[in-house]
Amino acid sequence: MKKLTFALLCLSLMLPLFGQTITCSGSTTVLPIAQATAEAFMDKYPQINISVRGGGSGVGIAALQNGTVHIANSSRKIKSKELSAAKASGIDPRGYAVANDGIAMVLHPSNKVKALTTAQIKDIYTGKVKNWQQLGGDKIPIVIISRDVASGTFEVFNEKALGGAKVDPSAQMLASNNAVVSTVADTPGGIAYAGLGYVNDEVKVVTVNGIMPSIKTVKDGSYPLSRKLYMYTDGKASGNVAAYIGFIQGPEGQKIVEQNGFIRID
Amino acid sequence: MNKKLVILTLILALCSIAMAQTNKLSGEFWSRWTMQQSRNAATGDDEITKNYLALERGYLGLETAFSEDTKARFTIDLFSTDAVGDGAGLKLKYAYVDFANRIPIADMTLSAGLQKVYFGSIYDWDYTLIGKAPSDEYKLANSADYGLSLNGYLPSGMGSYALGIYNGEGYKKTGAALKDNTDFAYLANLRLTPISGLSLGGSFMANTTERENLLTDNSLNPKYEQQMLADALVRYVMGPMDVMAEYLVKDVKYSDSFSASDYTASGIMIFPTLNLKNLTGYDMQILGRYDMWDESDRSDSSKHKLNAITGGVNYNFMHDDSGKAKMNLQLNVTNKSYLEDDSAPAYADGAKDQLQVMAQLKWRFSNTLN
Repeated sequence: MKKLTFALLCLSLMLPLFGQTITCSGSTTVLPIAQATAEAFMDKYPQINISVRGGGSGVGIAALQNGTVHIANSSRKIKSKELSAAKASGIDPRGYAVANDGIAMVLHPSNKVKALTTAQIKDIYTGKVKNWQQLGGDKIPIVIISRDVASGTFEVFNEKALGGAKVDPSAQMLASNNAVVSTVADTPGGIAYAGLGYVNDEVKVVTVNGIMPSIKTVKDGSYPLSRKLYMYTDGKASGNVAAYIGFIQGPEGQKIVEQNGFIRID
Repeated sequence: MNKKLVILTLILALCSIAMAQTNKLSGEFWSRWTMQQSRNAATGDDEITKNYLALERGYLGLETAFSEDTKARFTIDLFSTDAVGDGAGLKLKYAYVDFANRIPIADMTLSAGLQKVYFGSIYDWDYTLIGKAPSDEYKLANSADYGLSLNGYLPSGMGSYALGIYNGEGYKKTGAALKDNTDFAYLANLRLTPISGLSLGGSFMANTTERENLLTDNSLNPKYEQQMLADALVRYVMGPMDVMAEYLVKDVKYSDSFSASDYTASGIMIFPTLNLKNLTGYDMQILGRYDMWDESDRSDSSKHKLNAITGGVNYNFMHDDSGKAKMNLQLNVTNKSYLEDDSAPAYADGAKDQLQVMAQLKWRFSNTLN
């Protein structure tokens, strides 16, 4: 009888390891890291299922507060308002950095401009400068392309480059990093910003305040538009959630981070 | 009045949309069945005194972000009423601008305009229960008023605070209805979250109603009250359990010129909620509420003491991406009992024992326009 009780107790303690689904949602910037690492993690631990969704950093953090996900992916730090509301609801958000990222300023490859300052970026995005000729380029009207305001990338860009200023109403507000990069690639006068992981050969990356986004400049913080990408959990991550986040922060996960164009945290 | 308000609102809305970086249109409406049984003073029999369906209330709001630091909001309050021939009324509930990062204190916002009054638990109240928050239910403070306030968050999610100065007459009064009250109302509210799930707080408000002066017939104004309002609140959320308890006190002083005696009213509310989502797989809650509100210190005909118990169940559905329900189906049963018997003057004013059943469908939406 004692053996049976002990066996049942052991089985009940091991049950969480079988068939658990980890749910995460939030930042579209973190999405490719979450998807790729989830696939690799599930290959390694087939008994664990991971469901990954986008929606934006704010949506992910709200979902964590509402208790509908285990992990909120965020391309920015949690805000005081969000933290206060979550704690009052009995949720204790803990952030885990999973990657470094630089927000690259991208132009059409034909654009002669190679360098911008944060002041010039602000002038462009607030509509004060309207033609590339004013910045040493050809006489082509500037086409402003931005992420939508719900994205964490927009919030970080707005804070670090625009100082909270209003984006010119003529800006095209697009819903994903891929969309802004492909739009700039098709628009000779276009300018946009996107996570480094999304930059490809179809667009040109320019320096910001004389610094090119790179592994070194993002990691040491010298690139002005650098940031960390986070996964938030309710309290200290435990069980399979801790195992998954540990996997991302470990050598295998960080290799996937690099493969997706982001920068390691170690 | 309503036509002017609608035109003004439309002009404000169009201006805001044109100037804004983003605009978010949101709305919230609730359709309710109410059945009430109370005792007929003449016959002594319990009888059904209310049994009707109505769209009790609705809010339609526009939030505009002029920049990341400057955001405005205005909200129209729609409600069923017999006061106008159309069967529905309309009031401006909020019309304010939030200026963030203009004051060199982290996470502090200056709000100007017709705005929220953070007294009591009214803005902690997410209407998991059909009934109102105690400060609203017992008419201690107005939920919105014209004023200026500083609102902010403490570091590390340790809580929030609000300091405000308001007209004191509430959002339903403006212009001539304000009479000549030259006294402002002052508010301070502090909410602390020392550990996750535990909220402790309190608020204090000093207010006056109408100015002590002569009315047109040279009689003294009997409505003048000097009010000191305070509340203390504890809320604890752990897993599926959520318990909120609040103590409120209202101290009223009249002018020495009036015959009415000063009085103190006070009350408590205990409000437990059990979330059944993990247990049933459905987003459901069962809840209860106990209220005691005591105005027996009054010397006028409004003297009464109320005990009320509510039980309810909620079914929440149509969730958005963050898991918040867009629709709530609610059922509440409330038993109100008054200390006074049928002969008390307050009985005629509605302070009579009653059993009330309410079923409500509430729905909300929120869409970013640009």
